[in-house]
Amino acid sequence: MSEAVKKEVEIEIKDLGVTFQDNSGNDVQALTGVNLNIYKGEFVSLLGPSGCGKTTLLRSVADLQEPTEGTVRIAGMTPKEIRMQQKFGFVFQQPVLFDWRTVKKNIELPLEIMYYSKEERSQRADEMLEMVGLKNFANHFPKQLSGGMQQRVNIARAFGLRPEILLMDEPFSALDEFTKEKLHEDLLQIWRQTNKTVLFVTHNIQEAVFLSDRVCVLSPHPGRLSAVVEIDLPRPRTLEMKETQRFNELVTKVRNSFEGGSV
Amino acid sequence: MAQKLKRKKSLYQRGKENKKVQAALTVLLPVLFGILVIALWQGQSLHKMFHTDTYTLPLPTKIGSIFMDNRDKIWENTVATVSVAFIGLMLGSLLGYAVAILASFFPKMGKGGLSIIGAFASVPVVAMAPVLNNWTKDISNEASVRSMVAKIIVVMLVSAANMSLNAYRGLTELKPYAEDLMATYAAKKRVILVKLRLPNSVPYIFIALKVAVPASIMTTIVSEYFAEYITGVGRQIRENIVLAQYSTAWAYIVTACLLGVISYVILMIVQSILLRKHQ
Repeated sequence: MSEAVKKEVEIEIKDLGVTFQDNSGNDVQALTGVNLNIYKGEFVSLLGPSGCGKTTLLRSVADLQEPTEGTVRIAGMTPKEIRMQQKFGFVFQQPVLFDWRTVKKNIELPLEIMYYSKEERSQRADEMLEMVGLKNFANHFPKQLSGGMQQRVNIARAFGLRPEILLMDEPFSALDEFTKEKLHEDLLQIWRQTNKTVLFVTHNIQEAVFLSDRVCVLSPHPGRLSAVVEIDLPRPRTLEMKETQRFNELVTKVRNSFEGGSV
Repeated sequence: MAQKLKRKKSLYQRGKENKKVQAALTVLLPVLFGILVIALWQGQSLHKMFHTDTYTLPLPTKIGSIFMDNRDKIWENTVATVSVAFIGLMLGSLLGYAVAILASFFPKMGKGGLSIIGAFASVPVVAMAPVLNNWTKDISNEASVRSMVAKIIVVMLVSAANMSLNAYRGLTELKPYAEDLMATYAAKKRVILVKLRLPNSVPYIFIALKVAVPASIMTTIVSEYFAEYITGVGRQIRENIVLAQYSTAWAYIVTACLLGVISYVILMIVQSILLRKHQ
């Protein structure tokens, strides 16, 4: 922790609350009183069962959701300013690929919007296709791919952007274990190379512990931050670490920090 | 015997599962049905069924020979009908698409505007055509020109309404999170339109055209009935019925059918080329 304090705060979340109206017009508190500082280059997971507001928190950081209370500051700026500077990479739960574009053209989409040269776009897309193991599918259309492959394209598209801040909303939950483990390693490798800040939403405790520097545990009704668990496993992380006693201790510690016995 | 039965069944099963056989059957069965109807017609069984005579319902061979004898005049009238239908369809579809884009930019007003257009579209052509004839009577000294303008406007209105409603759906019914994705790239409205909404609307354009292409021909034919200037396939049907020249009228009815079928086939071919990526 003392080491983290010295680090530069990148994302500062203060007293954040989000209230929705349900269909009958009643207020539903999705999130209340969240205080959290995320440091530059840190890998932080938001972990919790469904309905705990973890996605809402992520969307508030990305300026896709207007908070009802409190503030989010990123490097001293508002989420909107950061969004307008195109510094976010967001991986949605669903692949959100454009059916009329080939796999490669889908990966190039954000680069097109940001006016990268044709050579740069093509080169980065090839790099990313190689990384997610879809080199031979560059000219396929999304509907010709399996769900898991589509999600890999989704991830490749976000990585290809080389964003300052990577926001991921349960990106691996629909994938099989083999693909998931491979992408975990890829994600950590890219993160280590680029040293970008990652905010990662998941409902999988093992996944959160394996990937993160810190795991933020959220509890539902109303959604709130109930604990932050420091993960002191050494870096780089390897698959063997999942067998260690320390890993299992941390998993237990995270599990025990849920409130209301919801897990 | 048992073996023979088994083999018969497997052949039938194989035919059922074979896609090529299925595709051939979807063409073959309607064609066979058509041939059957024509055979009944030529053999005068149809006349017995409907208690009519070969004067009111001329035999196919008779219609065929009239068609061949009058082919220059039929061609002339076909050109008149097709040009009205095509120009009206094109202008109307472009107008409808432009309205849909406008509506997608201002969703609150746009939705209301589109329901008004939808209401206009339900005004029957037989009601619209005479009114427009009246409105366009000062446009030109030439009867042929002002009649053509009136007919084109009717076709335009029908096509525009149809296109705007469908295109609006194509421009606004996007995949979940697609707009969020573009927002995270800080994409401007114009970029979202070009990279997301327009390509997303392409299949919907064809949904509109599947209705609008046959409708444009039908609308033209009905408008011709009311037009001041006597021309077009539809008008010839009417003129010949009035003169009790049923064989000639039937030759024009056949022409109208061919126009509908051929235009639809052309549309299907264009669609299969342009929509490859979407399927």
